[in-house]
Amino acid sequence: MTAPEGDLLHTVTADNIPEARRRFGKAIVWGSALLVVALAVWQMAYETGRVASGFETWRPVLYAYMLWATALCAAQVIVNGEKGKRTLFVLPAALFVISLVVFPLLFALYISFTDWNLASPNGPQPNGWDNMREMWNDGFYWNALKNMVYYVLAVSVEYVIAFGLALLLNAQIRARKFFRVVFLLPLMLSPVAVSWMIGKSMLEIRFGPISRVLREMGVEPSFFGSPEIARFWIMAMDAWTFIPFMMIMLLAGLQALPREVIEASKVDGATGWQSFREVIFPLMLPVSVTAIVIRIIFKLKLADIIINVTSGGPGGATDSVTSFIFREYRDRSNVGYGTLLAMVYLVLIVIFVTLLLKVVSRWMERPA
Amino acid sequence: MKVELYNYIKAAQKMNRRQMLKGSAALGAAAMMPKSAFADGHGNVRAEILKIPGVGAGSPTDSDWQKVGEMCLAATKENVTEGEFAGVELTFMGLNNQNLHNFLFRGFLKPWEAYTGAKINWIDLAQADYNARLQQSIATGTVDFDIIEMGAPFEGDVLGKGLASEMPDWVKEQIDMDDYVDYLKAPVGTWNGKTYRVSIDGDCHSFAYRKDYFGADGIGGAEVPTTWQEINQVSKDLVGKEDPLTGLPAHGYLDPLKGWGGFGFYFLENRASAYAKHPNSPAWLFEPDTMKPMVNNPAWVQAIQDVMDLIEAGAYPADQINADPGTTAFQQFLAGTGSMLMWWGDVGSSARTSDTSVVGDVVGFGINPASERVYNAAEGAWEDTRNEAPNMAYIGWGVYVMATVEGDEKKKKAAWSAAAHLGGKDLSLWASAYPSGFQPYRNSHFQFEEWEEAGYDRAFIEDYLGSNADSYNHPNAAIEPRIPGIFQYYSVAEDELAKGYAGQYGSAQETADAIAAAWEKITDQIGRDSQIAVYKASLGM
Repeated sequence: MTAPEGDLLHTVTADNIPEARRRFGKAIVWGSALLVVALAVWQMAYETGRVASGFETWRPVLYAYMLWATALCAAQVIVNGEKGKRTLFVLPAALFVISLVVFPLLFALYISFTDWNLASPNGPQPNGWDNMREMWNDGFYWNALKNMVYYVLAVSVEYVIAFGLALLLNAQIRARKFFRVVFLLPLMLSPVAVSWMIGKSMLEIRFGPISRVLREMGVEPSFFGSPEIARFWIMAMDAWTFIPFMMIMLLAGLQALPREVIEASKVDGATGWQSFREVIFPLMLPVSVTAIVIRIIFKLKLADIIINVTSGGPGGATDSVTSFIFREYRDRSNVGYGTLLAMVYLVLIVIFVTLLLKVVSRWMERPA
Repeated sequence: MKVELYNYIKAAQKMNRRQMLKGSAALGAAAMMPKSAFADGHGNVRAEILKIPGVGAGSPTDSDWQKVGEMCLAATKENVTEGEFAGVELTFMGLNNQNLHNFLFRGFLKPWEAYTGAKINWIDLAQADYNARLQQSIATGTVDFDIIEMGAPFEGDVLGKGLASEMPDWVKEQIDMDDYVDYLKAPVGTWNGKTYRVSIDGDCHSFAYRKDYFGADGIGGAEVPTTWQEINQVSKDLVGKEDPLTGLPAHGYLDPLKGWGGFGFYFLENRASAYAKHPNSPAWLFEPDTMKPMVNNPAWVQAIQDVMDLIEAGAYPADQINADPGTTAFQQFLAGTGSMLMWWGDVGSSARTSDTSVVGDVVGFGINPASERVYNAAEGAWEDTRNEAPNMAYIGWGVYVMATVEGDEKKKKAAWSAAAHLGGKDLSLWASAYPSGFQPYRNSHFQFEEWEEAGYDRAFIEDYLGSNADSYNHPNAAIEPRIPGIFQYYSVAEDELAKGYAGQYGSAQETADAIAAAWEKITDQIGRDSQIAVYKASLGM
């Protein structure tokens, strides 16, 4: 017998597996798969009235699926022996993802092409492209998408503020650690708490402290009366919560900068501004882009502050896509249409973020 | 109790163990009872509970609710023996608005649990989450509660789908249903002739105003306005004047201009009912034969136009566009901003008993304002006759037992006993007199002397209760349809109204047309034929 050569650590010896065992392994996989399909078809036929008897719920189909998943995992070892055990490191997790992500996504895709209204006695009925056509003519949805453009653009302002704060906290200032913690506090608050503390308390038009100060100064306060001002306050509250997130990322980037390069620029006689513009900012580009991209992804999910403070008003001026879908789905129980809006938004986000990453990829690498 | 003491009593009195335990339990229960409960027995219970905690003694607390629950157990004890429901667990789904509703129910039912041995688990929901949670439970077949606090507008969704348990006769007797005000009797609470609802509330919107704005020297004029035309005029005239109580800018009528999960639409209805609810037909939201929306007829357009006129005149407080009904009642009117409001009766009971109200001494009440003209939809023309049509918004909360208890007689009896306790004649008097979220809804609630004994002054209570009684008994009351998905209609209307109020539609008519178009879509989605049938049934047509 010759000794095996090469990478001994990662080599799995081939088991001598009898054919009967292999056949058994395949049989339990196919048998259980057949059971899942048969139960699903039967249940479908029962629910659509084609057969008289069936289960009260889909739970037996779920149990059959779990049986199939277990059989599939077991069969890896039965059929492939030691080699199959390696597959078992990944397979359960993959099945878990399929069960909890892929399947619900497919189910949502089906729902989004139905007219499912929870109050309807008929349940979900496929309605072709009706929901898509309705979306195309839905002024509220397009208005919300337009608002999302404003909200996303606001990230640029947040970035400038966050960068400024990061530079300040990176400098040799007194009580630096204290300020780092203080500036992080808003991030630790739930946006719902921020909505109530600021939007509905501090900005309360009659008793809120900010209103009182303004009134003392002779200004009649109005924070959510006009579309632009209302949108500004939503942006401000959201920014207040999430600027610390960008700031902490940028601060980490600043602290990781090679000090010798910055010192060299000073030796060469660069002013503070020149040093920032020519050295620090270019070196910080990869971190900056990462922070901005993550912040945009957060921003695309903006909803809680809007729902609590303005409900999308005045006249939809502050509506985000998520807050509109929330209303469509929750208040109006319009599950089919609401799901379609969410699916379309998901596709738009995937396209937007992919393009964004493509465009910014050239700045993601730290310059040599 | 100590063992040696137990043995001593047993030996001295020749008691057996069972008698001994019964005696101890009775003694314990008596010791736990509030002093006032001993007063004069059942006859005086109503007077005694109204003293807890007493008007002007601050908002009631959990211990007060428990005391009231304990003192009102007599009716339960007539139908249920002690410990009869031991081992039974029930789940109760209700609201947690302003720390009322379920918070009170917990206190009221605690002595009931102690007496019957049943245990109640609670599902607390915010008002805005209520509709979604209920609809999802129904649609997905996951009704995970045995008792629900529910408004009559949802009866189409729940009773129409056979999800509730029919009320046993002994419950009808225990809660004395004949005492209900007329409009809460059948068909409300019934479906296909069967009774399902224990009423705990009677809803109508009534008019609240600040008396210090009106009178000989009042900045709002000598007389309190009684029509929407007068209200709009007074609201415009008040611009630039100073509030006599707070010294801040004076304001007239407070319309909520922001949505409230569908519930905000009731407040446009208040204006519209006077214009649109003609005495010749119970229908004023949809045409009964077609479900064609009436919301864009001239009557409704006038109501929307009234609001737009006040926006244009700058008659509302700043940021009114962001004020929902919770804001107009609790942050504005009760806190001293604005002089006129339409709301449920909570404003009346809270004006005097809530810690946050500053208008208790200057508040007056009336019924839903009238209109100087009414639109006759059948003829398609305005009639220059005065029309009153109080808005019975929401028709009140009730307690319903779900069909989940069917098949388990012990559980079913327990659920109905709990519901009957909450809807008891005496307990409901207390709930209508103190902050609870509920309005008077029984004829026996309108005995003014009982309220006077509780500490209310006669003039205030006659004024407040009178406005409710006049609304309930009004021959042209605008009753809400109990059709499936009613809050979907209201919610989408709120969105369109918000656009209209923000000036995004060219006119009130355009706004109303947008609402009508959205309502047509919902009707088609839910099913036009079934909606027509339910709508007609709910109107008794």
